[in-house]
Amino acid sequence: MEDKIRLLDAEVGKTYTIKEINTDDDEMNAFLFRLGCYVGEPITLVSKKKKSCIVVIKDGRYNLDQLLSDAILV
Amino acid sequence: MRIAFAGNPNSGKTTMYNALTGRNEKVGNWGGVTVGSKEYSLKKEFAGDNEVIAVDLPGAYSMSPFTPEEGITSEYVRTANPDAIVNIVDATNLSRSLFFTTQLLELGIPVVVALNKSDINEKEGTSIDAEKLSKKLNCPVFKTVSVNDKNNGLSDMIGKAVSLAGTTQKAPYLQADIDLHDKAAVDAEDRKRYEFVNKIVADVEKRKVLSKEITVQDKIDRVLTNPVAGIVVFALVMWFVFWVSQTWLGPLVADWLVGWIETFQGWVADQLANSPAILSALIADGIVGGVGAVVGFLPLVMVMYFLIALLEDCGYMARVSAVMDPIFKRVGLSGKSVIPIVIGTGCGIPAIMSCRTIRDERERRTTSMLATFIPCGAKIPVIALFAGAFFSGASWVSTLSYFFGLVLIFLGALLIKGITGYKYRKSFFIMELPKYKAPSFKYAFRSMMERAKAYIIKAGTIILVCNTLVQIMQTFDWSFHVVEEGSDQSILASIASPFAILLIPLGFGVWQLAAAAVTGFIAKENVVGTLAVVYGLTAFIDTEELALTGGANEVAMTMGLTSVTALAYLFFNLYTPPCFAAIGAMNSEMKSKSWLFGAIGLQLGTGYTVAFLINQIGTLVTEGHLAAGFVPGLIAEICMIVVLVLVARKVRAHFDEQYALHKNSKAGAAA
Repeated sequence: MEDKIRLLDAEVGKTYTIKEINTDDDEMNAFLFRLGCYVGEPITLVSKKKKSCIVVIKDGRYNLDQLLSDAILV
Repeated sequence: MRIAFAGNPNSGKTTMYNALTGRNEKVGNWGGVTVGSKEYSLKKEFAGDNEVIAVDLPGAYSMSPFTPEEGITSEYVRTANPDAIVNIVDATNLSRSLFFTTQLLELGIPVVVALNKSDINEKEGTSIDAEKLSKKLNCPVFKTVSVNDKNNGLSDMIGKAVSLAGTTQKAPYLQADIDLHDKAAVDAEDRKRYEFVNKIVADVEKRKVLSKEITVQDKIDRVLTNPVAGIVVFALVMWFVFWVSQTWLGPLVADWLVGWIETFQGWVADQLANSPAILSALIADGIVGGVGAVVGFLPLVMVMYFLIALLEDCGYMARVSAVMDPIFKRVGLSGKSVIPIVIGTGCGIPAIMSCRTIRDERERRTTSMLATFIPCGAKIPVIALFAGAFFSGASWVSTLSYFFGLVLIFLGALLIKGITGYKYRKSFFIMELPKYKAPSFKYAFRSMMERAKAYIIKAGTIILVCNTLVQIMQTFDWSFHVVEEGSDQSILASIASPFAILLIPLGFGVWQLAAAAVTGFIAKENVVGTLAVVYGLTAFIDTEELALTGGANEVAMTMGLTSVTALAYLFFNLYTPPCFAAIGAMNSEMKSKSWLFGAIGLQLGTGYTVAFLINQIGTLVTEGHLAAGFVPGLIAEICMIVVLVLVARKVRAHFDEQYALHKNSKAGAAA
């Protein structure tokens, strides 16, 4: 099995490939998908704080809370 | 002919709609400003001889809605059969936008793609081959810059859309015939669609600066979304807005305006010198005086609107939402609730409507219930009046009003969380952070004038009618005999007196103040208008002059309030239910009578409790004894607590039952 880490443990400024998304919420997963956030796609961590982070998905920047960033494994 | 404007959130649909129709709909630099559809005919220069109606829709990422306002868009393009669709694409985020574009192209309705914000692309060195894109999508593609007055590409684009109306669109990508209930199949199809889109983007787009590179904007974001620095900055920004509008620039202009209003009132009184006293009182004091008192505060409101428009336009709102998210999570809300609250400083109705962008139903209803605790533009005159008359214009009164409103929102959210038994559904927060832009002064000015117009119209209609009625009701008794000014025999006094009794524990149990509070439910400006009429005062705003002539004291003396009871009365008016229009907006957003009545009850209870505590504790501190009516007030408070406990028990008893129902049908949720 590949190593997966939580988004909040990733390195700022680095681009990762999304390996798993699990929010336990189908609608949320589908919503993320439409933004271009799905397994196999790149995601870049722009900055992170204790409980949130800012990422680049496709050409947009998003602020994610801890719950959501924990659900995205890279 | 109808042309629908559809596209991703914050792609500039409403800006384009405004440019094409000459309307002045609200725009802002964040996703989810437009929460309902709006339509208006195109300007002649764009429509030619055709009658073309443009339909502005809320932003959507796809045809499957995630939040209620997205649903409005997919529902409209699916069922309303527009003659053509203008798909506004944020050219700086082509890779995401085209997903929705390919879905729109499948509907069979002719689509024209507008690559909006093309100016930003030029600045950043991103080039999109529009011709190639057009071939790949099977539809015309135009580069547009909606914020420009000239060379914006709008005329060509909309001309093409008009000419295509009625034709049939051939889709470049068709979803395979799959079982839409089969999640895996749908997922696989969506993946294929994205692959199709990705291939197109790779072909047509060349970027000089990759999106993932860290820019100056990211550095700013690091500060603004920092849990400590970000909140300090937000507090300072809001304080500055309130200070400029309500302490510095606003009153400066208002001073001058009030001078003119008084001159006008004097002139009117002179003209009526030979008419019957009643007529003169009705027109000069009632109509001109009452409406004038409200209009006098217009400059404060206008400056405030101008500054808020600048804030909304620059892209800061999304950052505020992000930085406040962790705090709001603690009380069962999320960062999404912040935007309605900031909008609420202008007007409660758009604030309540903007709750539609909140996905979770409980969170959405709670926010629309609490957003109006933040004083709106109509409450500014009330605050300014009391700050001027009782606290020598101190700026802390307005700061405290807003801060305390925020505290009430937190406490209210905690209470609702307790009553509804917080369903532990995971509440995710994701907020797109749009690129910052220099706010447009032209737009802010137009937005300010639009609101000012609405304010004056309101003053000339609702407020005018109310003031006239109040004036008539206080002039006559029930058998239509003229009574002395301020007499207890008047119609107004006899209606308002029973209410006044309820207000004794709060420290302002006189019929004049009760009447003003009641008319305030129709529109909050009425509080000022009615006070002006019942006490025959107009020059509320001019605090310095009032102080010189002893006027501030005069106002204070006439009302018979101490600074403690004045503060209690002010807060009572600020935190009881907002105007009827806002209650109507709450009703349509909540879609539940029990939530609506809960909201009105909560707001009445909050206003009453706050005023009660301020009056009783304040009097105890300043005079060493409790104020009149402590025991009845305490009984009222106990009754409220009992009601709360009963409601909570009832809600919680139904909770499991509701949840069981919820699995099979949605009917159980609407309790």
